[in-house]
Amino acid sequence: MQADHAEDLASIREQARRLLQDQATPEHLKSLLNEPGSFDRVLWHHAVEQGWPSVAIPESAGGLGLGWSGLAVICEELGRLTGSLPLIGNTLAAHALIHAGSDEHQALIDSLTSGDAIATLALADPSESGLCGSSSAQVRNGRINGEKALAAFAAVADIALVQAGNERGNGLYLVRLDQPGVQRRLVEGFDNSRATALLQFIQAEVTPLGGAELLGEIGNLAALATAFEQIGGTQACLDMACDYARERRAFGQPIGGFQGIKHKLAEIYCLLEIARGCASDALDAWEQQQPTRRQLTSSARIAAIRAYNLAAQENLHVHGGMGVTWEAMPHHFYRRSRSLALELGSLAYWRERLLADLGLESATALVG
Amino acid sequence: MNHELKLYRERARAWLAEHAPRYSGQARHGLPFEDDLALARAWQAHKVQHGYGCITLPREFGGAGGSELEKVIFCEEEMRYDLPLVYFSISLNNPLPIFLRYAPDAWKQKLGPATVRGELIWCQLFSEPSAGSDLASLRLKAVPTEGGWLLSGQKVWTSWAQIADWGVVVARTDPSLPKHAGLTYFFLDMKSPGITVQPIHRLGEEKDLNEVFFDEVFVPDEQRLGEINGGFKVAVETLMIERYAVTDESGYGPTLENFVDLAGNARLNGRPALEDGEVRARIAEVFVERQGLRAIHRRALEAFARGQAPGPEGAIRKLLLGRTRQSLGAMAMDMLGANGAQLAPHGHAVTDFARAWLDPSLRIAGGTDELLLNTLAERVLGLPQDHRPDKGIPFNAAPK
Ligand SMILES: Cc1cc2nc3c(=O)[nH]c(=O)nc-3n(C[C@H](O)[C@H](O)[C@H](O)COP(=O)(O)OP(=O)(O)OC[C@H]3O[C@@H](n4cnc5c(N)ncnc54)[C@H](O)[C@@H]3O)c2cc1C
Repeated sequence: MQADHAEDLASIREQARRLLQDQATPEHLKSLLNEPGSFDRVLWHHAVEQGWPSVAIPESAGGLGLGWSGLAVICEELGRLTGSLPLIGNTLAAHALIHAGSDEHQALIDSLTSGDAIATLALADPSESGLCGSSSAQVRNGRINGEKALAAFAAVADIALVQAGNERGNGLYLVRLDQPGVQRRLVEGFDNSRATALLQFIQAEVTPLGGAELLGEIGNLAALATAFEQIGGTQACLDMACDYARERRAFGQPIGGFQGIKHKLAEIYCLLEIARGCASDALDAWEQQQPTRRQLTSSARIAAIRAYNLAAQENLHVHGGMGVTWEAMPHHFYRRSRSLALELGSLAYWRERLLADLGLESATALVG
Repeated sequence: MNHELKLYRERARAWLAEHAPRYSGQARHGLPFEDDLALARAWQAHKVQHGYGCITLPREFGGAGGSELEKVIFCEEEMRYDLPLVYFSISLNNPLPIFLRYAPDAWKQKLGPATVRGELIWCQLFSEPSAGSDLASLRLKAVPTEGGWLLSGQKVWTSWAQIADWGVVVARTDPSLPKHAGLTYFFLDMKSPGITVQPIHRLGEEKDLNEVFFDEVFVPDEQRLGEINGGFKVAVETLMIERYAVTDESGYGPTLENFVDLAGNARLNGRPALEDGEVRARIAEVFVERQGLRAIHRRALEAFARGQAPGPEGAIRKLLLGRTRQSLGAMAMDMLGANGAQLAPHGHAVTDFARAWLDPSLRIAGGTDELLLNTLAERVLGLPQDHRPDKGIPFNAAPK
């Protein structure tokens, strides 16, 4: 990261924090949780005004040119307040389109970076906990048939980046969602504010964007940016739990004085610092295109899932009875920690990915 | 990291490659204790001669007058060799620097340079049978007498007391004050009449620990470090000197790569253990932990480079490495099944999982897991201190 960027990043962080504090109020967030497919249009409107969807896009393609670090900073702030915006999808869709040839796609790139269009990453398959398979969605003769698993922002997206099988294996495709061959189905979920939907394709038109390599890159970068969102969430849970532990009293002292509570929180702090370390190394590796970037991304993903899972779960617990109420905030993070852990491949998938990157083939390969 | 430090590391690496082999590995195999100790002293003197001994101490006493960061870098490089460093693990790290900070000048001249060169060895007499984590509850008593003090009582877990020439000791000078307030800090000649050192047999093969008995041991008042009844502050300062514990990234146990090798060869119900989900999960977890700790370590070094003290990174590192060393050792033995119970001949904790498992002291010495978690919770997260019923009460009236 160049020194001049450090200042820009700090000011983006400051700006994001202020905006989110104003907009992502508890009442507002709760109203989103009630309805499947909810999308925070007001927040999106403000985010677009501030140029967030274009932060990571190179200046040559009309972006702000702050790279993946720029996206990471905003994702971390978003995670702190369980805000939910399609920044990762939009950024990566624009990135994939630039890669596939920006001349043809410039109009779409512009509408993604300006926030006029919304993209969803439909990489996962139904009944598959990883990101590898595309047993259901298949492309033949420029048309796609099949289904994709619940994808964040699919309820409101204009386009989808879809992983689908083809004659040669798997590829990454652009699918416009306003065509007749596309059906989206909202389902009741525990985190309705993610605007998730199932996508079904019947002879829908696709544009091929790339093969296995691009697929891998998109999956990795999405996981890395999500890791920052998870780190922001973990930090928020830890802060919230510590604040509560200093105030709430039992047996004549603040509950934070009990080691059962104190040590729990110190353990979360350790997991958080490990996740932060992994994610910042992975970020550097992507910025500098180092060969270790894949394995560092897997590490960041694993560490972030572990940290956020524990932090969200124990924050709720530290709040005792308050923790299980609708009014209190811990359940927002509890929900979000799980949805982020399920999107983009589960912990077990990333563990196998990491081990494969380290040369310890997948368990199935060893058996076979 | 800046260019100068890179050069420093390269120079240190080259210097070690040239000099360390004569003092490490093969050169030590099968040496009796006395000979290994002599080799250790020779290595220390050799380092001092070349500006690598006691890197952060002033030149006036034979140190290299260097920075904390240079010391960390040199230690990292030095750790790659199987050198006889343990005998100085206490001596040069805590007692010597605090002595040089507080002792009268004549004493500094007399003992400083010889200690730096490894001719004199020091021990740290803090812990007692009923004062470990709760150091301030120690009882060894110091009674004023003509020209000094008489020390009576017992210390325990004293590393290298059996070879120590000098020691730093904390004693209770006023039991009518609250526990932290009635302690005084001294340095003393370990050959003084009235001192008895008895070895403690550890569960492993290490020969470091002792208990030390004091029977009216005379210590001149000029050997007091700090104020009368102001000893706790000096003790805490002593422990803070070693600001960042340098260990290798496996906590002086076998590496993750060793573990993976073992998992590839060991069999579980006729299939490679490496196929087992639990084994795979553990490998991934330890890899991720190591990666995160590397980033944390780098951040600490950057803090040193800017002349700041690193934050609580050291505590995270010790906590995680200590546990992982122990649990990875146990899992490695599980993979070996019944044969896992062997100790490899001439094995060492750094290469042998059973030996690493057999020495869990990284989780105890220098602060137990629980105390480290308390430190993180209180100092970093701002949570309240534990309930302490003896707080503010005269030591001799407090609940025991
Ligand atoms: C290899 C080795 C070398 C050593 N070298 C030296 C040396 O050279 N000089 C020296 O002075 N000492 C030395 N020590 C002693 C060491 O500092 C103590 O062992 C350590 O501080 C723990 O104290 P303890 O053994 O009295 O255990 P205790 O303090 O009795 O602890 C027993 C258990 O109680 C727990 N516990 C205690 N207090 C709390 C609390 N507040 N909250 C929660 N749990 C708590 C501990 O975590 C531990 O699990 C050495 C120890 C070892 C193992």
